[in-house]
Amino acid sequence: MSPRREKLTSPQTRIALARGNRPAQHLLPIPEPVDTEAARRLFRIQRRAAVRTVSLLSLLLFGMSGSFALWPVLTQVRLGGVPLSWLLLVVAVYPLLFLLALWHVRTAERAEECAEVGRGKDDTTP
Amino acid sequence: MISVLAIGLVVVTSLVVGIYGVRAARSTSDFLVASRRVSPNWNAMAIAGEYLSAASVLGLAGLLLKNGLGTMWYAVGFCAGYVAVVALVAGPMRRSGAFTVPDFAEYRLGAPRLRKLCGFVVLVIMLLYLVPQFKGAGVVLALVSGTPYWVGVLLAGIVVSGSIAAGGMRSATYVQAFHYVIKLLFIAVPAIYLVAYAGPEVRAQALHPEWGTHFPETTPVEFTVDTRFGLDEPVTVTAPDGTTIDLAAGDHTASEGTRYVFPEGAAVPHPQGLPDLGGERWSTPLLDSGGYPLFETWSTLLAITLGCMGLPHVIMRFHTSPTARTARRVAVGVIALLGLFYLFPVVYGLLGRVLTPQLVLLQGTDTVAVVLPAQAVPGSAGTILTALVAAGAFGAFLSTSSGLLLALAGGLSHDLFQGSVPRLRLAVAVGACVAVLLALPAEAIDINVLVVWAFTVAASTFCPLLVLGIWWRRLTLPGAASGLIVGGVTATGAVGWSILLPTPPGWATVLLAQPAAWTIPLAFATMMAVSRLTRPPDWAEHAVLRLHSP
Repeated sequence: MSPRREKLTSPQTRIALARGNRPAQHLLPIPEPVDTEAARRLFRIQRRAAVRTVSLLSLLLFGMSGSFALWPVLTQVRLGGVPLSWLLLVVAVYPLLFLLALWHVRTAERAEECAEVGRGKDDTTP
Repeated sequence: MISVLAIGLVVVTSLVVGIYGVRAARSTSDFLVASRRVSPNWNAMAIAGEYLSAASVLGLAGLLLKNGLGTMWYAVGFCAGYVAVVALVAGPMRRSGAFTVPDFAEYRLGAPRLRKLCGFVVLVIMLLYLVPQFKGAGVVLALVSGTPYWVGVLLAGIVVSGSIAAGGMRSATYVQAFHYVIKLLFIAVPAIYLVAYAGPEVRAQALHPEWGTHFPETTPVEFTVDTRFGLDEPVTVTAPDGTTIDLAAGDHTASEGTRYVFPEGAAVPHPQGLPDLGGERWSTPLLDSGGYPLFETWSTLLAITLGCMGLPHVIMRFHTSPTARTARRVAVGVIALLGLFYLFPVVYGLLGRVLTPQLVLLQGTDTVAVVLPAQAVPGSAGTILTALVAAGAFGAFLSTSSGLLLALAGGLSHDLFQGSVPRLRLAVAVGACVAVLLALPAEAIDINVLVVWAFTVAASTFCPLLVLGIWWRRLTLPGAASGLIVGGVTATGAVGWSILLPTPPGWATVLLAQPAAWTIPLAFATMMAVSRLTRPPDWAEHAVLRLHSP
């Protein structure tokens, strides 16, 4: 009579089986930042950039629709046979949106780079 | 027939790309890690592919034909939403490590119970968004195969649930990226061809709405519902039995089933409640259905731009970027891809006013992109172009609704119940069934009205939650929960009322139909006021700063 067979599983499988159907804990723990002041500074810079971008976006969207309402002449003036307001709404607005987003990304990345450089200096100082 | 073949081809190809994509992903070390290695360009294409729904491919052109140039503000809003995403949520969301908005709520506020509330809001948004997709698919299938509308909706439901069950939609990135290419090509190529083929006279007519809108040829019109319409000048129409009927200038009512043949060159009647085709209200680029154009335009812009960041299936995709920095760059790529796509729907709307104005009388404007090519270009070329647009529209339906269904099923099984894979399958089936049942009576409702409803709810619930959660450390759990409830109930209720029930005249109609301008501030105000009254936990600031540290 052969001895009872035993099921061999990898440690990971055992952990997974023990965990059952609970959702995976992929959420990060929330440690205190290494340098709270620097983190706050970066947060404020990023918030300023976000406020600026959102304000410009509102100015673009509300300003453009507002000017269509204020000046109906924009629909009567034609550029290459197409009403000017149509051209603005159907074509010109997309490059502007793209450039605005691009500008924001540049600003946000530069702020992050500055913060990283600053932190690098802190690490080297004893 | 060609259209049915083309649609079949799109479905089969997506399945093949999907299955191949799964294999490619499995051959690398780990599925999840592999998905994080997706290059920014592929990822941007996948997001755009999933985002461009039936509302963009069919709805925009149809609404432009019916309501005028102001419709293009929807497209601008769909695109501008990603500027808000770049500026406010893309990077921090990626750093939070949360896959979905409910996950984020749990990370930021540390409460599993809020997750259930968020999961419920996800369900509402996803269902509101799914119904117009099914409507679009039903309309297209009915049009190209001649079957009744309900058969199309039912078939669409079966195709989508089937393709998810087959696993083809799992490796979403490649399939969605493929669908972006399909949609762009299949709307751009016919559009360019139509513009070139139309000739200088039709082009000039399309650009000069003030010249008036006339039937381009002798056109039979069969009214499928009772329709009131006005005539500027008398016209002699022919009934099916050959008798001629003189319609005087003024208002008329055509009862259901009436058939009139309008002679070539006759002015197109104006159905009641719609702007004159090509009139001043039509050609002014503002949204104007209730008499307050600027308010309506701004409210819609707010709903769409801010709603974009609250769409669960959009937020989920940013998680496939390896870093927060790439997540932001991906969003910029999406803006470029969407901007390119949105250049084309306008062609169908403008040419549609000149070549297929009868669709406005038939209340079938959502079909203009599919009907127009066959009408404008006689012979097989027109048939092929129509097949292309129909296949593109079906691709739009397929990619968006499978993404939505997966997000909905995920929400059902992951956030509301602690589910397993069989439950997930069941959730897909249940979600599809509910969406099909809701889509059946929705034939007469414009695709874009329903889509903007979903955006309004997202903008009044998840947008304040994400924006305040990311940028304001004093947000508390009671604040978030009360804001979600207030925003969700008011936004869902207001639009629902305006669609399903009669509304009081004047301002009330506009405020109910376009409630974003008051529901979004209300949700923000509730969250902030209630949060001020309660204390945030000690680690709240760490949780916020963590989202912004590189």
